[in-house]
Amino acid sequence: MGAKRILTLNVNGDDYEVVCAPNTTLLEALREKAFLTGTKRGCDLGACGACTVLMDGEAILSCITLAVEAEGRSIRTIEGVSDGGELSPLQQAFVDHGALQCGFCSPGFIMSATELLAENPHPERAEIQRRLAGNLCRCTGYVKIVEAVEAVAQGAEGGAR
Amino acid sequence: MRLPRFEYYQPGSLAEAVTMLSQVPGARPVAGGTDLLVNMKHRVEQPAALVSLTRVSELAGVRLEDGATVIGGGVTLKHVQHDEGLKARFPALTQAASVVGSYRHQTMGTLAGNLLQNTRCRFFNQSVEWRSVRALCYKAGGDYCHVMKKEGVCFCTYHGDTAAALLVLDAEVRVEGPDGVRQFPLAQLYSGEGKAPLSLGSAEVLTAVIIPDSSATDGDTAGGSTYVKHALRGAIDFPIVGAAVWRNGDATRVAFTGVDRSPLRATVLEEALAGRALTPAVIEEVAPLAPKGVTITRTTVQPGSFKRELMSALFARAAGSLL
Amino acid sequence: MKVLNVVGQRVPMHDAAAKITGQAQYTDDLVLPGMLFGKLVRSTVAHGRIKSIDVSKAKALPGVKGVITGMDIPDRVYGIVPKAKDEHALAREKVRYIGDEVAAVVAIDQETAEEAARLITVEYEELPAVFDPLDAIKEGAPLVHENTPGNVSAQIHKEFGDLEAGFAASDYVFEDSYYTHAQNHAPMEPHAALASYDALNGDLTLWSGTQIPYFLKRNLSTTLVIPEQNIRVIKPKVGGGFGQKIDMFAKDFCACWFAKELGRPVKFLYDREEVFQSTRQRHPMYLTLKTGVSKEGKIIAQKITAHADGGAYNSTAPLMITLSCFFVMIPYKIENLVYEGYHVYTNKPVGGAMRGHGIPQPRFAIERQIDQIAKRIGVDASEMRLLNAIEAGEPHPAGFIINTCGFADSVREASKAIGWAEKRGKLPFGRGVGIACASFPSGVANMSHLASGCVVQLSSEGRVSVLSGAADIGQGAETVIAQIVAERVGVPMEDVHITAADTGLCPLDAGTFGSGVTVRAGNAALNAANDIRAQLFPVVAEALGCEVDEIEAANRLFWVRDDPDRSVGMRDILRQYQYIDRSLPIVGRGAWVPPADSATTLLTNNGNLSPNYSFMTQAAEVEVDLETGRVNVIKVLTAHDCGQPINPMLVEGQLEGSILGGIGYALYEDSTCIDGQQHNPSFLDYGFPTMMELPEMEGIHIDTDDPIGPFGAKEAGEGTQLAPAPAIVNAIADAIGVDFDRLPVTPDMILAALKKQREEAAGEAR
Repeated sequence: MGAKRILTLNVNGDDYEVVCAPNTTLLEALREKAFLTGTKRGCDLGACGACTVLMDGEAILSCITLAVEAEGRSIRTIEGVSDGGELSPLQQAFVDHGALQCGFCSPGFIMSATELLAENPHPERAEIQRRLAGNLCRCTGYVKIVEAVEAVAQGAEGGAR
Repeated sequence: MRLPRFEYYQPGSLAEAVTMLSQVPGARPVAGGTDLLVNMKHRVEQPAALVSLTRVSELAGVRLEDGATVIGGGVTLKHVQHDEGLKARFPALTQAASVVGSYRHQTMGTLAGNLLQNTRCRFFNQSVEWRSVRALCYKAGGDYCHVMKKEGVCFCTYHGDTAAALLVLDAEVRVEGPDGVRQFPLAQLYSGEGKAPLSLGSAEVLTAVIIPDSSATDGDTAGGSTYVKHALRGAIDFPIVGAAVWRNGDATRVAFTGVDRSPLRATVLEEALAGRALTPAVIEEVAPLAPKGVTITRTTVQPGSFKRELMSALFARAAGSLL
Repeated sequence: MKVLNVVGQRVPMHDAAAKITGQAQYTDDLVLPGMLFGKLVRSTVAHGRIKSIDVSKAKALPGVKGVITGMDIPDRVYGIVPKAKDEHALAREKVRYIGDEVAAVVAIDQETAEEAARLITVEYEELPAVFDPLDAIKEGAPLVHENTPGNVSAQIHKEFGDLEAGFAASDYVFEDSYYTHAQNHAPMEPHAALASYDALNGDLTLWSGTQIPYFLKRNLSTTLVIPEQNIRVIKPKVGGGFGQKIDMFAKDFCACWFAKELGRPVKFLYDREEVFQSTRQRHPMYLTLKTGVSKEGKIIAQKITAHADGGAYNSTAPLMITLSCFFVMIPYKIENLVYEGYHVYTNKPVGGAMRGHGIPQPRFAIERQIDQIAKRIGVDASEMRLLNAIEAGEPHPAGFIINTCGFADSVREASKAIGWAEKRGKLPFGRGVGIACASFPSGVANMSHLASGCVVQLSSEGRVSVLSGAADIGQGAETVIAQIVAERVGVPMEDVHITAADTGLCPLDAGTFGSGVTVRAGNAALNAANDIRAQLFPVVAEALGCEVDEIEAANRLFWVRDDPDRSVGMRDILRQYQYIDRSLPIVGRGAWVPPADSATTLLTNNGNLSPNYSFMTQAAEVEVDLETGRVNVIKVLTAHDCGQPINPMLVEGQLEGSILGGIGYALYEDSTCIDGQQHNPSFLDYGFPTMMELPEMEGIHIDTDDPIGPFGAKEAGEGTQLAPAPAIVNAIADAIGVDFDRLPVTPDMILAALKKQREEAAGEAR
C-alpha cells in the first residue's frame, strides 16, 4: 500500500528528485532525502515549530505536511535564507541580539519571522508575539528574539529580505 | 514518529474528489492536515487512503450568494481572520480563527477542517505505544472508557474554536456527496457522540459555510459578536472552554466549545435572555445559568466545576464586551 | 581597574552564524554511509517481572538487522554517580516503570525499525507498584529494587548548632508543608546517538547529544566492556540540555552495541514522547519546614524534612539530595539547622538533574514560608530577608567560604525596583508583588573527577586553536572560553578557534552540570592562555626592551603599559620567535580543579561546596484574572550577583531563559502521571510557556569581583531559575490573599481558592 514514487520538490529554487511514499512527510523528505538538515525535528507532531519552512511564501509545519503536497509548490528552507553566505537582515539581527542559544529552534523562528515581515514589514510587539508563538524556544526566554525581530521591523537592521 | 502507510489521491475538482471518496475503500478527505495527520501518527486514525482537497478549486474563496456570505471550506483560518469583510460583519468568526492553535496551524488549517476536527481525550490522543499500556479505549475501537472507568460510552470532548462562533452566527454548512448537495444548520453537523462526533457521510465533503446576512453586525451599539477563549497558554493549546456571543438589539445568542462532545448553544441561558436587552445587570444575573442544561464531559485534566465557572465567566466577559 | 577588550563584551556566540543558517550539526543531522536506524521497545507495565520476550516476528521482518534484549548484553549497571549505579541499558529480569527499556531493534530505515519494535511482544508478571514516595517508604510497600529496603536509595541527615535549643529560644515556631511537582526539561532537541565501530582497531566512536562526554565514555566502557581508551565520545551541537542530557541512556548503549556487533553505523533517535517518559525530570518533592523565629523575624532554628520522588532509578540521587541539603544554608544565616532528605524510589519516570538540581524545591518551600511567617508575625517580608542575609567572609556552619556576596544588596535593589514600599499589600485586589531569594554554586567542589583541562596552540600565522573538554549545550560555553583565551593572548575573537567536547582530542572535563563550566573550564583556559604568555612574553619583552610584567596585549598588538607608543604586532613577534630558533607552535597547557580540602563527598563531610557562589533576589508583579483564574505575570526583575560577566549578552540570555522556565514551573508545566504512566508527553499537552507568556524582564547587576572565578566571574546558568516560582506565588498571595503551598498554581486552583475565600467571608459575615 502507498507505493513510492519520484517527486520533484522545488526547494530554494532547486529541483530535487526524491523517492517518497505518500506517508513521507515534507520534513522527512527534506532531511532524509534531500539532506537539507537545517530544518529541525523537535516534536514531530506539529506543536513546536522547529520544522517550519515556507511553502509558496507561507510558514508551515513540515512535520505534518505530506511531501506529495509540496510537489509543484515553492519550498524555502533555512538553507535558502542566507544568500551566498551572507546572512539575511533577520539572521544578522538574531546573531547580534543574542537571540539564539542552542540554535535548535532558530531555523524555525527565522522562517516564521521571514513570513511575518514579508507580509507585515512593521509589526507591533503584540503581533510579533502572536505570529511567532507557535515556535517554542526553551533557552532564550524569547526576549531577545522579540527584540531582534523588532530591530528589523524598525529598520535598524536594514529590513527583511 | 512515522505516519502509517496509505494510498494518496489528489483530485483537481470537487466532483472528482467525491467520486474518489465514494469509490476508494477507506478513503478520507484531508486538507490542512493539522488534526488528521497528528492522529494518524498516533495511529488513532488509520485511513487506507487520503483524498487531498488542496487542489479542489471549488473550496476556495469568500463570496456573497443572495446576500448570504459563503466561505469555501478550503479557506484557511489565516485567510478568514484577515478578511476585511468578515472582520467587519462577523467578528466572532475572525476572532475565533485567530486564536486556533498557533499561527502556524491557522496558516495550514482550513475552516472546514476546524469544524470537522475530531473530539479529544487525553487517553485517546496518544501514540500507539502509549495506548498499549491500557485496554483499547472505546473511541480507538475498544469497549472501555478510561476517564469514566466504564464500558460502552465515549466522552471525548469537542474543542474546535470556530464552531462556537459559527453557531451564534446561525451558520449553515453545505456538503457535497455522491447523493448530491445538502445544506443544513451547523449544529446538525455534530452527532453528540464522542466516538463518532460527525453526522457526515464518508464520501461527503464540507464545501462551504454559509452565514446569513441577518447575522451580520456593523459594530454599532445595537449589535456585535465576539469569541472568548480560555486556555492555559496564549497559543498552541485547544480551548479549555470557548464562548461565543452574538447580539443584535434585544436578541442574544450564546454558544460554547470545549465542554461536551459537540459545540453547543446555551439554550437555558438564551431563554433567560429572550427579549431582554443586554445590560451589565442582566449579564450578572443570567451568567450563572451558562452551564445549565449542559453536560460537562469529565476529563482527567480539568475539573468539571472549573469548566462551569469558566462558562459563566467567559459568557459575562464576551457579552460585556458587546455592550 | 582592569581594562578588558574581549572579556566583558557582548560578543555573539562564535557558532551563532552556523546555527542561524541551519549549518550547525546536531546528532540527528549526521549521516554515515551504511547507517542503520534503531528503535527501543519499552515496558507497558509499571512494575513487573519479564516472563518472556518474543522477538521472532521482528527478526523476520525484511530490513531488520538486529534485535537484542536485556539478556543479550553484559550484566553491567551504569549511573552518573559511581556509588549509585542501578540501571541496565535494557531491563533484565524486571521492569520498574512504564517506559523502561526492554528490547532494541535496528533496521535499514526508521520506518522499518518502528514497525519491528511494534512486533515485539513481552509477557510480564505484573507486580504491585508504588507511585508516591510517602507510600513507598511505608512498611510493606512494594520494593522497586530488591536491594533497597524502604525504597530509600539515598539519604542525608545534617545537623548544625542546637536545633531544640534554637526552637526553645524562638518567639514563634511554625510548621508548614509544601509539595513541588515534576517538571520536564523539554530541550528542543530530542535525545539522539550515532555510533560507528572500527573493527580493525577496536575503536568505537559515539556522537551523542550529551552534556557530559567523559562520564559517558566511562559508563560506556563499563557496560560494553571495552577499554576506555578505545572509546571516543564526540558531542556535536546539542539542542539544549538543562540537566536532562547528563545521564547515559539506552540509546547511547544500544547504538554502540549494534555498531560493534554489526560493523555498521547505527543511529538512535528518541521521539518527543520518549523524552518525556523515559529520560529525566525534575524530582517532585514533599517538604515540611519547622522554623523558629524571633519576634523581629530572625530565623533562630529550622528543620527541613524532604522526600524526593526519584522514580525508578537513581540517576544523580545522592548528589541531588546533598545539594538540596547544603543549599538551604545560603543565602540565609541559620545557626541551628537540621536537614533530613530522602531520595525514594517509585515506579515512575526517573528524576534527574534539572537546572537548579534539588534546590528549587526547598527554595519554594523556604521562600513561601518566609512570606507566610512575615505575615503571621507582622513584619515586612523584604526586611525579614535582609535581617537573615548572609554576608561575605563570615564563618559558615557548613564550612562554605564566601569571598564575595552581593546578597543583601540584591534584596534591597530588587525590592526598590519592583516598588515594594508602594505596592506590597497596597495594590488593588487581584494584583500583587512578591520577592524570593536564592544562591547557587559555580560548580561543586569536594567531589571526585571535577578537573578541567585546556590546550591552547598559537600557530606561526597567529591562529589560536583551543582544545577544551567543556560541553557547550547551547549556553555558549565555547564562546566564553574563547573570549577568555582571546583576552589573555591578546587577539580578537576571530583569531580563536575552539574544538571542544571530543574525548579523542580534548583534555578531560567534568562536563556541563552544577553551573561550573565558566569557573572551572574557564580557569583551565585562563591557565593555558597564561602558559602561552609565559612562553611568548619574554620574546615580546626583548623586542620592546621592557620587563615582562610591563606588557599589555590586545588585538594582535603588544605594547609597554606606560609607553603605548612602544609596540609590536603579533605577526612580528611570531616571526622573531621563529628566528630565535624556538619551536612553533607555542602550546599552552592549563588545568583547574576547584580548591578543596580533600576529594570526598559532602554526603558525609562538610566543607566548601563550591569555588564561589552567586546570589540573587527576584521580584515579580502579577495580575490574577479573578474570573478565569489565569495569572498574568506582568514583570519579573532580578537583582543578580554573578560576579563579573565574561559575556553580558550571554548572561542575560541565561537569566531570561531561566525566568521563563521558572514561570513555567510556577504556573504552566506539570509532568503528570496516571497509574505511573506519564500523561502529557507532548508539546501540546505539556504546556511550557510560549512567546505569549513573555513578561517584562529586567536585570540589575550587583557588582562583585570574585577572586577565584576567571576575571571575577561566577555562575549564571542555574541560580536564576530558583526564585521565580516562589516570587510569583508570593505575588499571587499578595494579590488575592491565598497562600498556595504546592506547584504549579493553575487557574482551576485559583478559582477554587477564591470561591472558598468568598464562602468563608460570607460565613464570617453571618
